[in-house]
Amino acid sequence: MATTVAVPEMTDKSPRRSSLLEWVTTVDHKRIGIMYLLAALFFLVCAGTEAALMRIQLWKARFDFLEPDTFNQLFTMHGTTMVFFVGMPILVGFGNFLVPLMIGARDMAFPRMNAFGLWMFILGGLLTYYSFLQGGAPDVGWFAYAPLTSATFSRGMSTDYWILGLMTSGLGTLSGGINFIATILTMRAPGMTFGRMPLFIWMMLVDAVLIVIAFPPLTAAQTMLLLDRQLGAHFFDPQQGGSAVLWQHLFWFFGHPEVYILILPAFGMISEIIPVFARKVIFGYESVAAATVLIAFIACGVWAHHMFALGLSRTIDIFFSGSTFLIAIPTGIKMFNWIATLYGGKIRFQTPMIFCLGFLAMFLIGGLSGVMLAAVPFDWQASDTYFVVAHFHYVLFGGTLFGIFGGFYYWFPKMSGRLMNETLGKWNFWLLMIGFNLTFFPMHISGLMGMPRRIYTYDPELGVDIWNQLSTIGVLVQAAAFIVFAVNLIGSLRSGERSGDDPWDAWTLEWLTTSPPPAYNFEVIPAVRSRRPLWDLKHPEDPDWEHE
Amino acid sequence: MSTPHHASDTPLDGHVPAPDDGHSIETVELPGPTAWPLVLSVGLIMVAFGILTNISFSFLGIIMALVGIVGWVTEILPGRGHIHEELRPEELRPKPVKRADVDVIPMAPGMPGHRMHMPEKVHPYSAGAKAGLVGGVAMAVLAAIYGVVSGRGIWYPVNLLAGMVLEEADTDPVAQLEQFHLLALILGLFIHAVGSLFVGLIYGIVLPMIPRGRVLFGGLVAPLFWSGCLWASMDVLDPVLAQRVDWVWFIASQFAYGIVVGIIVVRTEKIHTTRGWRA
Repeated sequence: MATTVAVPEMTDKSPRRSSLLEWVTTVDHKRIGIMYLLAALFFLVCAGTEAALMRIQLWKARFDFLEPDTFNQLFTMHGTTMVFFVGMPILVGFGNFLVPLMIGARDMAFPRMNAFGLWMFILGGLLTYYSFLQGGAPDVGWFAYAPLTSATFSRGMSTDYWILGLMTSGLGTLSGGINFIATILTMRAPGMTFGRMPLFIWMMLVDAVLIVIAFPPLTAAQTMLLLDRQLGAHFFDPQQGGSAVLWQHLFWFFGHPEVYILILPAFGMISEIIPVFARKVIFGYESVAAATVLIAFIACGVWAHHMFALGLSRTIDIFFSGSTFLIAIPTGIKMFNWIATLYGGKIRFQTPMIFCLGFLAMFLIGGLSGVMLAAVPFDWQASDTYFVVAHFHYVLFGGTLFGIFGGFYYWFPKMSGRLMNETLGKWNFWLLMIGFNLTFFPMHISGLMGMPRRIYTYDPELGVDIWNQLSTIGVLVQAAAFIVFAVNLIGSLRSGERSGDDPWDAWTLEWLTTSPPPAYNFEVIPAVRSRRPLWDLKHPEDPDWEHE
Repeated sequence: MSTPHHASDTPLDGHVPAPDDGHSIETVELPGPTAWPLVLSVGLIMVAFGILTNISFSFLGIIMALVGIVGWVTEILPGRGHIHEELRPEELRPKPVKRADVDVIPMAPGMPGHRMHMPEKVHPYSAGAKAGLVGGVAMAVLAAIYGVVSGRGIWYPVNLLAGMVLEEADTDPVAQLEQFHLLALILGLFIHAVGSLFVGLIYGIVLPMIPRGRVLFGGLVAPLFWSGCLWASMDVLDPVLAQRVDWVWFIASQFAYGIVVGIIVVRTEKIHTTRGWRA
């Protein structure tokens, strides 16, 4: 095993500083990726603030810190923001930065469309938030169930802001999905067959396919809803022959694949990070890739498990319960592969790795509570309680966000040319780990005790005050974690240790070029012969291509 | 889109080779910066904003969007919209990847960490599937015997099993559960067959990993383990069965399944794994 790494000597000479105009007009995938990340971090602050305000309101029973209407707006905007303006853009941002570098390309297949997607996302997000200045933000939940969204129950324009903000940003997301598919299918370096693609690329490809499948139904449903509200159509009005259930089907046909759209890139990140920090090749590359495809396939057939409490037929309940159980199998395969990769490895417990280990633990808890909710009788009991809130936060926060943090610490040197501070990174991890569990684990208990979600307060006789107070304290700890991250990010950008081209002794193509890479990525398009092209160069005595 | 690279099969070492086609490779053609995607985006957002506020914004947005599209299309005409990015100075280019200081020592049998404990021969997965189905039959026979011995009839156990998905089983009186129901039979058989098959497959994979006492593990330890799990979760999985199951007979049938599957899997002839083929 290599003990030293070839790190080029750094000089103080660096490319000239870029002007704002260059960033605004850029079509460079790396800059676009970084702008996605920065915009998503801005929206993360917004969504985090909304969550903190909700948690203060829930500090004790019958607390009147917030008005009920304000609480409704906050949970709607928190959910909407985290899904559409934080989770996806961060992942798309990483994808933008990394996909061309990892496949040995100079840019995305459609660079201008890439810029278009970025601006649609940013402007769509701002349009949605502009509703705050227009008399009130949307208050119908991120799921916007009919008939609450009808003009009768949702007066004013807030729901229309929700519709149009998401439709326009969704257009950007869709263009990004098409771009990823075209790029990965057509622009891989010579020799990079499907069987040699990095697993992050596999995940992004499957993710992009899911985006293309899942977003059009949402856009169609939103168009119908807009017609209902603006032009008096009756698609979702049961009084006029429409169907409120139709909205739920269309929304969740998007909504559940969306969960996998949010988690698959994080799977890809940890599939890249764990092998590097365990100093082992990923265990069962083929099965990880195959499980990803299987997850995407099954993910399109589980949407009605969000609707068990609706009273659908037994046959439908059985089918969707079964398919939901089934998706645990490919997911379990991945967990097995990551753990098997760790087994016997020479593990380096640096910040990217500990976030990946946190991911494994937290996602496991979220996955297991998901299996519990797949059982229809259990779902009937726990539906619309804080148990469900705990479940999806363990999946999307404990899973996706921990993976994203791991990705930040791992690829930040490639983006900036500097390492993030390890000490602050570990503080970041432990504060987040403690704060996250303090916030969300008690929600399992308060949920099972009957605390309903999306309600601005609760009955003191329910006996859930203590669990809510723990959750609120947890949010404060999380806030400290995010502050540490921000300090680390800004401090490292200014004066972090120079990273060199390949600070982790890694194996994929992005580490072949400089940190940060030039506009053209590679002077010469590399040719690859195995899944770990840099390993082959570092270890000509035992290259991977002899074994694959 | 960037132009095709000059050297497609160059060594992967970050080193720029001498040009072989007579052209300079000191610049790389890339798409140039452009504001048209931003103009189009702003136009589309203004269309949406106009719907929400004042329709005149929408008209303005349509004009902006059209201007953006025209500008965009103009840029992708041949010979336009690209720049020639100069390669960085030599000192700022990536250094060639160096060979690691320490060579990899290939693992060999007998070395610590060598995975000799991984089986080079395993029972075929099909053995697990077959054994699972045979074990399922053994379990069903025992359940039928229980039905007869308890006086509730042979349909009672399968009706209880179907209660996992049949809602009316919750409220049916016992007498009703003793009768033949086609739907319950189909569902019960399906659940039983799928469960038996999956557990059998797991046996087929896991048993070869057990160094000794495979039948004991398969016949006693594993059934005891999953019986405990089922006991703990039965209220959720199948409330009807949880209320009415005879746990002694239930656990006995699990043992019967485990022993049958264990014996069949262990007695099946082993085949080489891919590891064995490579060797």
